[in-house]
Amino acid sequence: MRAPTSYQAAFAQFAQGLPAAERALREQAFASFAAAGFPDDSAERWHYTDLNKLAPQNVQLPATLGAPALDELLLPGCESRVWLNGRAQQAAAGGEMPSGAGDALVQLNRAFALPGLQLQLAAGEQRAQPLHALLLTQAQAPGEMHHLAHRIALARGSRATVLLHSAGLPGAASFSSHQLDLDLAEQAQLTLICLQQEGEQAAQLLQTRARIGRDAQLRLINLDFGGQLIRKDWQLQLAEAGAQLEVHGLFAAQQRVHLDNQYEVEHAAPHTSSRQLLRGLGSGRSKSILNDRVLVRPGAFKTDSEQRLANLILERGAEINAKPELEIYADDVKCAHGNSCGQLDERAVFYLRSRGVPEAQARALLTYSFADAVLAQLPIAALRLRLAQTLTRQLGAELDFEDLT
Amino acid sequence: MTTLLDIQDLHARVQDKDILKGLNLTVNAGTVHAIMGPNGAGKSTLSKVLAGAADYEVTGGRVLLAGKDLLALNPEARAAAGVFMGFQYPVEIPGVSNMMFLKAAVNAQRKQRGEPELEAADFLAWVRHRVKQMKMDPAMLSRGVNEGFSGGEKKRNEILQMLVLEPKLMVLDETDSGLDIDALRIVAEGINAMRSPERATVLVTHYQRLLDYVQPDHVHVLAGGRIIKSGGPELARELEEKGYGWLQAA
Repeated sequence: MRAPTSYQAAFAQFAQGLPAAERALREQAFASFAAAGFPDDSAERWHYTDLNKLAPQNVQLPATLGAPALDELLLPGCESRVWLNGRAQQAAAGGEMPSGAGDALVQLNRAFALPGLQLQLAAGEQRAQPLHALLLTQAQAPGEMHHLAHRIALARGSRATVLLHSAGLPGAASFSSHQLDLDLAEQAQLTLICLQQEGEQAAQLLQTRARIGRDAQLRLINLDFGGQLIRKDWQLQLAEAGAQLEVHGLFAAQQRVHLDNQYEVEHAAPHTSSRQLLRGLGSGRSKSILNDRVLVRPGAFKTDSEQRLANLILERGAEINAKPELEIYADDVKCAHGNSCGQLDERAVFYLRSRGVPEAQARALLTYSFADAVLAQLPIAALRLRLAQTLTRQLGAELDFEDLT
Repeated sequence: MTTLLDIQDLHARVQDKDILKGLNLTVNAGTVHAIMGPNGAGKSTLSKVLAGAADYEVTGGRVLLAGKDLLALNPEARAAAGVFMGFQYPVEIPGVSNMMFLKAAVNAQRKQRGEPELEAADFLAWVRHRVKQMKMDPAMLSRGVNEGFSGGEKKRNEILQMLVLEPKLMVLDETDSGLDIDALRIVAEGINAMRSPERATVLVTHYQRLLDYVQPDHVHVLAGGRIIKSGGPELARELEEKGYGWLQAA
């Protein structure tokens, strides 16, 4: 499917006034995107998600806006950087423009993307404070779109905790795309929290590529609470011996949200380990997809991987498609996987009710209990508390979390 | 003496199988009743029917709590009216701390009764005192409900909840099973601490053992879905010696 004319018009407007060299690169990217168009469901990994509903939209570049009130979104103890509708609200570190191969969505992002979070740590550098990158969307007119390119590169032995937080303020329908490159050199350690709280009319595409070097460690906590059409691709490569990956994922899909997370964990070197605990909650008429593929390359002996997927269908009408996949091309590996999809344990609901807790609150508490296996991993206490409250409010109950931390 | 619990000709079934077949029992305030009986007699069914478990269907009879129709209430309203059931198999709720759980339960009950919420600081002191009474580690309050608890710890936690919630009618379903002798004594002390002229206890148990520590006023034998014999504490000892066969044969 070819890109519609509104993208052409938006690109023409965007490309005006760009320096010639940059303009050429962007034109190349846009031409690739326009030729390929949005992916359709003929490819397996697009089986559930049809982006063609994005195509006929009358997209446009966002208007410039004054800064909104942020107090409720910022977190104590974190250094924050803010983007509003794709524009940095502080002096932006200009990143190098990425180029080269990539699918249509990569090319679309490259055609339009402005620098997003650009974090580079020198060898041995330790960031004590978590960095909160707040990516806000407040669309003024339907079809406003923005595109950001993020890069986190940790040199040897450096350490950081980053919260990449996309949030929607009330407004019109919007569309954003994000490319996220992660590069962890030897012994680097990154804790990355990717929190999605987009608005009810927001479409978001996120494509992440991570390279985890020798004895380096990536801890990813991927949380989805909002949006309308969300697609996230995770290509996480354990590139060198001793690389470690931990993924904790949680989504709470409600109403008519369409939420698609595609994980691909590639063990490309010996003595690498990956641990994934992915949980989901489906309510309303939401549709969620959780595809989790582990690939063990030839020669990646002593790979140790574990995939634990568990989902709760909270309401009739919600749909969750969860699938662990495992492809092994090496000997002497240990790969465990499990997948479950069910409802709340009625014995537990009765236990709480028998203590006087009303049914709705009992269900909310138990659902929270299920989600907490992931939320408890958050290294920022204030964020865990806030999300516990957000989640229980979504579940229609008020719970007292003052004893949580 | 005032009648706290009055069960009249109670019939109940689970999954189309009739379990209770005309059970009568009157429990006065200030008394402790032990209900004993062989496996499959309906002991656990009786507890669950009193607490309001959905998979147990009442097909006949009445249950009055202080003169009011208990069976008309949902489980949470029964709790607010003063019914407490100690579970034979308490459920684990990881991620929800014991403290959060106790506070949610107490405040939910108070709200249903139209009473104001408790002050956080007073409540904490109140709970801590009872944790000590049950010889539990106060650190358990910040752990998940029954999360990783041994069988004995879970039972102690049931009694702790009972001490905190201060119910009127306590129905303890096989609370003594799985307890070692020290834990049994602590659990029994907890039960005894709740004895008062306004309250009553129904102990559902398999063995005489618990009754060495909690002296019942009345002992009943439940078999085939009915109370087939009632007596004083001496009946429990007789059952321990002779088993149930002689009663069922009669």
